[in-house]
Amino acid sequence: MAIVDKKLTLRNRNKILVGVWEDEDNLLAAATALTAAGIHIHDIYTPYPVHGLDRIINARRSKLARIAFFCALIGLTLMTTMIWYMSVYDWPMNVGNKPLRFTPSWSPVMFEGTVLCTAFGMSFFFFWRNRLVHGIKNEILDIRQTDNRLVVAVETTSNMDEKAILTMMRKNGALELKSFHKGVQTILK
Amino acid sequence: MIHDSILRDRLVTGDKTSSDVTRDILRPILNNPSKSWKIGFTISVIFLGIFAISLFNTLWNGIGVWNINKSVMWGWDITNFVFWIGIGHAGTLISAVLLLFRQKWRMSINRSAEAMTIFAVVCAAMFPVFHMGRVWVGYWALPLPNAFGSLWVNFNSPLLWDVFAISTYFSVSLLFWYIGLIPDIATIRDKVTSKLGKAMYGFFSMGWTGSTRTWARYELISLILAGLSTPLVLSVHTIVSTDFATSLVPGWHTTIFPPYFVAGAIFSGFGMVASLLVVARKVMNYENYITIGHLDAMCKIIMVTGSIVGIAYLTEFFIAWYSGNEYEQYAFANRAFGPYWWAYWSMMSCNLIAPQVFWFRWARTTPWFIFIMSIVVNVGMWFERFVIIVTSLHRDYLPSSWVMYSGSLTEVGLFLGTFGIFFTFFFLFAKFLPVINMSEIKSIMRNRE
Repeated sequence: MAIVDKKLTLRNRNKILVGVWEDEDNLLAAATALTAAGIHIHDIYTPYPVHGLDRIINARRSKLARIAFFCALIGLTLMTTMIWYMSVYDWPMNVGNKPLRFTPSWSPVMFEGTVLCTAFGMSFFFFWRNRLVHGIKNEILDIRQTDNRLVVAVETTSNMDEKAILTMMRKNGALELKSFHKGVQTILK
Repeated sequence: MIHDSILRDRLVTGDKTSSDVTRDILRPILNNPSKSWKIGFTISVIFLGIFAISLFNTLWNGIGVWNINKSVMWGWDITNFVFWIGIGHAGTLISAVLLLFRQKWRMSINRSAEAMTIFAVVCAAMFPVFHMGRVWVGYWALPLPNAFGSLWVNFNSPLLWDVFAISTYFSVSLLFWYIGLIPDIATIRDKVTSKLGKAMYGFFSMGWTGSTRTWARYELISLILAGLSTPLVLSVHTIVSTDFATSLVPGWHTTIFPPYFVAGAIFSGFGMVASLLVVARKVMNYENYITIGHLDAMCKIIMVTGSIVGIAYLTEFFIAWYSGNEYEQYAFANRAFGPYWWAYWSMMSCNLIAPQVFWFRWARTTPWFIFIMSIVVNVGMWFERFVIIVTSLHRDYLPSSWVMYSGSLTEVGLFLGTFGIFFTFFFLFAKFLPVINMSEIKSIMRNRE
C-alpha cells in the first residue's frame, strides 16, 4: 500500500461534479441517497468532522493505531538499549552500589522516550498519508468548505449520467451545483 | 437517528451558525489590534524587559546575585520552576483527559489552555537552565558521549528524568496543539486577504482541505495523542515531585508527593485558565462561546482539586506525627509555627479554605469573583512551593547551619519577568491564531445527544 492516499488529490482527475450544502442533516441524507443509487462519491469536504460520512463514502478504516503501537515498540527498544549501553556497557556507573542491570529507576526515561517516539512517529505517518505538507498547493473546490459549507465531489466516468446525478443532488437539498474539469470551474446552478 | 438534546444546556449560546462562529472568532485576527490588546501587549513587553535585565545581571555577575546559599540552595528559582510547570498542566489535562472522558465543554477552552501549557513550560524551563550557573554547558544534561565534556548522564537521577519528562511534555504538547490548529489555520488561509497572511497561513495549513478521509484519521490521531498525553501529564509532575521525594530532606521524603503534586498542578493550571478566560471572554466578546456553564465547570474542578491538595496537606502533617520521626515532626511544626508561618498559612488559606466558596452556585457563576479567586489560587500555589522548598531547607539536621532566606531583587525580577514572557506569547497567540477551536465548536452547536 502506498503511504500517500492518492484519493486526496484532485490532480489528473476526470470531470468532477460538485454539490454544496449548508446543513449536515441534509448532506447526510443526500450522501446516503447518492450512494444507494450506485453513485460513487469521490470525497466530501466539511469545515468540521461530520460523523458517519466516512462510512457512507466507504473510506477504509485507518491503521494509525497499529502504526502508533509499532512506533512505541521502536521507542521503548531504543531507550532501553541507549540506557543499557551508556550505564552498563560503555561506562559502568556505580550508583549507591546498585546492580548494573535494569532497575526501576530507568523506567521514567524509557516511558518518556516511548511516548515521544510514538507521538512523533505516528504524526509523521499521519501527515504523510494525508498529503499534509508545508507549502503544498491547496486543492479546494469551494473557498467556503473550511468555513460554513459542506461540499460533495463526484468524479464522473464515461458511463455516468451527469444530468441524473445533478438532479439527484438538487432534489436532496444542494444549494449550488458546479463542475470542475482541468482546472476550470463551471457554475451549474 | 440523531436527536437535539432538550435537557442539556447549550454549550454555545446565541443561536450561532457556522459562519457566525468563523466571523466572531476570527474578528481579532482579521482586524487591526484593539486598544485593550495594545495596552496589554505593551505591559507584557515591559515585564519582558524586566526579565531581560534580571537575566543579564544573572549571567554577567553569576548566580551569586541570587540569595540562594547554604543551606537554601533552591529558593525562588525552583519555586518558580515548579509553579510554572504546574500551570502548564491544565492545558493537556483539558485537551487530553477531558477528550477521553468525552467532555464536550472542553472545546471552548482547550485551545487557549494548550497554548498556556506551552508558554508556561517555556517559562518553567528558564529557571533550572539558569540555575545551572554555567548555562553554556547546559547540554551536559543531555545523553551525549563522554568526549563532549562530561560523563554519560546518570539515569538513576530524578533531575535527569526531569530533562526527559519536560522536553517530551513540551514537544508532545506543541505537536498536539499544532495538529489541533491545522483545520482552523486553513479557515484563516481562506479568509485572510493580505498576501503575506495568505502565504503564512497557507504554509502552516499544510494544504488542509477538510476531506472526510482526513477528518476520520484526524479524529483518530487526536484520540491516540490524548491517550498518550494523559499518562504523560501525570508522569511529568510525578517526576518533578520525585526531585524532592527521593531526597532525605525532612518534609520532602514522602510517598504522598506524586499524587499531591499532580492534583496541585491541575488546581493551579485551572486557576490560570480561569484568569485568562474570564478576561478573554469579556474583552474579545466570546461570552456565547465561553459561557457561565464553562466557568461553572472549571470552578468545580478547582474546588475538587483544591480539596485534594488540602487533604494532602493534612495527611502529611498527620503522617509526620504518626511516624514518630522527630526530624519529620519538627519540619512540619516549623512550617506551621516557625519563622515562615505566614507563608504556610497563606498557602492553607488560599488553597484549602478559599476554594470551598465554590460550593455556592453564585461564586461559580460570577465572573469577577471567579477572576479574583483564580488569582488567590495561584498566589496560594506559589506559596505551596515556597513552603515545601524553603521551610524544609532553611533548618536541616545541623542547627548551626540554620539560616533565613528571602529572594533578592534579581530573583524577584526573574519571576515577574516570566509573566512578561508568558503574556507576550499569549497576546501574540490571541492576535494571530484563533483562541477558540472553531472546527470543534462548529461540530457541537446543535447540542446533539
